[in-house]
Amino acid sequence: MTGGSALVGRAALERLADAGLDAAADDGVAGVEVMLQRDAGGLTRVANSQVIQNVWREDLAVSVRVVTDDARVGVAGVHTDDPAAVADAARNAVAIARVSPPDPDFPGIAPAAEVGEVYVDETTVAASPDDRAAVVRALLAEVDDAWEAAGTVATGGAELGVFTSAGQAAYAPRSAAGLTVLVMGPSSSGWAEGGGRALSDVDPAAAGRRAVAKAAAGRDPVDVDAGSWAVVLEPPAVASLAAYLGYVCFNGRSFIEDRSFASGRLGETVVDPCITLVDDARSRDAVGWPVDAEGTPTRAVDLIRDGRLAGVTHDRYTARQAGTESTGHALPAPNTWGPLPLFPLFAPGGGTIDDLVGGLDRGLLVTRVHYTNVVHPKQTRLTGMTRDGTFLVEQGRVVGAVRNLRFTQSAIDALAGAEAVSAETGWGDELFGGGGRQPALRLRAFSFTSTTSFG
Amino acid sequence: MRELAQLALDEAVAAGASYADARAVLDETESLSVQDQRVEGVGRQASRGVGVRVLVDGSWGFAGTARLDREAVLSAARTAVAVARASATAQRRAVRLAPVDVATGTYVTPHDTDPLDVALEDKLELLLAATAAAASVDGLTFAKASQDTWKSTKWFVSSEGADLHQTLLQIGGGVECVAVGEHEVQTRSFPNSFRGYCGTGGWEDIVALDLAAQAPRYAEEAVALLTAPELPSHTGTLVLDGSQVALQVHESVGHPLELDRVLRYEAAFAGTSWVGLDDVGRLRYGSPLVNFTLDTTTPKGMGTYGYDDEGTPAGRHPLVVDGVLCDFLTSRETAPAVSDDTRSNGTMRADSWGTIPLIRMTNIHLEPGEGTLDELLSDTGDGIYMATNRSWSIDDRRLNFQFGCEVAYEITGGRLGRLYRNPTYAGRTPQFWGSCDAIAGRDAWVVYGTPNCGKGQPTQVARVAHGAAPTRFRNVEMGVR
Repeated sequence: MTGGSALVGRAALERLADAGLDAAADDGVAGVEVMLQRDAGGLTRVANSQVIQNVWREDLAVSVRVVTDDARVGVAGVHTDDPAAVADAARNAVAIARVSPPDPDFPGIAPAAEVGEVYVDETTVAASPDDRAAVVRALLAEVDDAWEAAGTVATGGAELGVFTSAGQAAYAPRSAAGLTVLVMGPSSSGWAEGGGRALSDVDPAAAGRRAVAKAAAGRDPVDVDAGSWAVVLEPPAVASLAAYLGYVCFNGRSFIEDRSFASGRLGETVVDPCITLVDDARSRDAVGWPVDAEGTPTRAVDLIRDGRLAGVTHDRYTARQAGTESTGHALPAPNTWGPLPLFPLFAPGGGTIDDLVGGLDRGLLVTRVHYTNVVHPKQTRLTGMTRDGTFLVEQGRVVGAVRNLRFTQSAIDALAGAEAVSAETGWGDELFGGGGRQPALRLRAFSFTSTTSFG
Repeated sequence: MRELAQLALDEAVAAGASYADARAVLDETESLSVQDQRVEGVGRQASRGVGVRVLVDGSWGFAGTARLDREAVLSAARTAVAVARASATAQRRAVRLAPVDVATGTYVTPHDTDPLDVALEDKLELLLAATAAAASVDGLTFAKASQDTWKSTKWFVSSEGADLHQTLLQIGGGVECVAVGEHEVQTRSFPNSFRGYCGTGGWEDIVALDLAAQAPRYAEEAVALLTAPELPSHTGTLVLDGSQVALQVHESVGHPLELDRVLRYEAAFAGTSWVGLDDVGRLRYGSPLVNFTLDTTTPKGMGTYGYDDEGTPAGRHPLVVDGVLCDFLTSRETAPAVSDDTRSNGTMRADSWGTIPLIRMTNIHLEPGEGTLDELLSDTGDGIYMATNRSWSIDDRRLNFQFGCEVAYEITGGRLGRLYRNPTYAGRTPQFWGSCDAIAGRDAWVVYGTPNCGKGQPTQVARVAHGAAPTRFRNVEMGVR
């Protein structure tokens, strides 16, 4: 079927990598790393209850990093499936390295190491535009004409290869699917999302019904005052909290440079013991890779364990500076961000999301948040808006919808007041990172600093 | 490359597209980053590909490929048609395109020296000199400097006969001074945050920044911020420097006036808009001092080009005049929603061969007022002056916003006084622009680049620009806690 895809396989990537490794070796460098990422997939976008955009793309990005005997490093990349172009990129990388100052802290190229596997769903890799259209129709069937629907259905497959002159020869395929649904009415909107490593992980009809139910419950929202509220954050809101906390607090580079809240505090109990946060790219509940951009196998890293700051993520560079080992969190070179935890997942606790709401005497139920950003990185202070379903809870029951509010809140302080974590999980995604299943959280105090005029 | 675009176009039409366009694109990028005297990263990337966009039975399809052999390009064209046919199964209204004057021509960004032709050693020397100059300041923890080049060579052909060739050269550079304390991290950036200056032009524009000469002053300010008091929570008069005004324009004017947002195409991701189609000619967006303009011809602007990615020529279009809304940012698909006679004002851009063009901000300016910054401060009496963006957030209709800046100064008796750290301010869009009562003049007006504007799904990153001068607002909430 035109528009579907298939994995090209290890041999195809290795053939290209060999062209880069050979070309750089001919130029006499001390180490070579060739990273290749092939992506092929489609995304169907809905607005005004119809398909408005529908795209398919295949790409193969190749990046060659070389290091000379005197620790000069160069990187060059090209998007191609032509071995000659990869060889040219390798020669470019060598030329860049030759004129770059030495970096005596460069940790060298990754050695051979066994890489595990992640679940790959061939049906999702091969999904066609018609398959995505069928999902869209199933979703729209749940949204009657009283409402307007928007959202996306995405499917695709990808392959990552990292081949080094030090003996690493890593290849990993991956599949991913995602679904978002926004339902809008005159005074409210509702949200649902799903995702995973297989298209069968998403249920478009259930998502459509959930979004409609949220929008219906959100009709005619009222104002509540800004201030400190007890909250239950549903999984999409928790995903934002996790992503930004990971970014500002658990990046090995900012940790070393003393720019992180965690700097000098590993081992301290800083949040409620009901909180455990683990970055796990390989999880079936996330869509990450089993290997990083340097060829190091990806490890699950405890960031917070039972309320205690437990660890940060490293690539080979920060690991050497910290006197430890890479956790397999390198981003593609040249990387000025440092090693980011892209799949921080809160460990589930007990009960359902409704159970968490049932334990709320008076507070707010937050479906998701919008445009979160960092106000103060070292204090983990974030700001953002609630969106697509914010509800007032009294004596354990949702009693009505409220207009959106802006939060300005330290993530660590919020988790210090964590009261409960649900066993029930749902999919949540953020602008960066790849999304994953998160529980809901009940937090004793969450600071809202202003309101807006719609729900 | 042009032949590949034509090949894709012809195949798409043969496969049943009623309209098709194809772009063949070569993107060459270079990114240099140093921290103190260490080179953090030197990287060059080249990305070639073909993207073909089709309409079949009034539905869109798109496919892009980096494989440039004949069969791969033909397959991409057929895939685009298949995608469009699948779209038609969940389509309510057929897409209608506003007419465009079919264009043929070429455009090259005016510049003296392509940074990709400058010796790498020379570029690194400039950056390392800047960080060395910053490091001379006692108490600074580290300094970073960067230089970026984005060169895009593209060929565009359409089934209507458009045939365009453009070479766009975008450049950036800056220095960032970081001071780390026990509970604080303070940064001062020159000439702007998020990798500094950016615009269209050449290496000469980077040299003209004179990063090494400027760096020590910003390093000193970063160190001073560590011990400065936090900006107290209060409501009062706020003067923003031009770079922060630029981001305020970006978030609270540019995005809500994108017509695809108004039409709810972006509802599920970036959001919609507080502005409606019927607001043209009626909505008071701000005070009578406020004039916003879309101008894709502005010299050095990051959003300056010859033609957009639908083949619409660049031009200048008022959006808000004397505080009243008069137009949106439009495309060929969305313009007919305004009226049957409305045509695209040329804002459609894709961030690569593999993505579809979307309405993007290009260059959206706040037109200058009168006088200098000193005159504006002198006229202010008492208030707060904030400079250089640090954080930003705004709701999904672009009403409730909150910004943080790197630095604030008390304005007392018409002069800058005490330094404050971690300044923030918040407001709602129409009230905020309605409170604008002074804008500095043309001599203080600068075109600031914004290199990281995200939009669309799959997410695309656009580099856009905003001309702005220091501007004053009354009754603003500051020091948000």
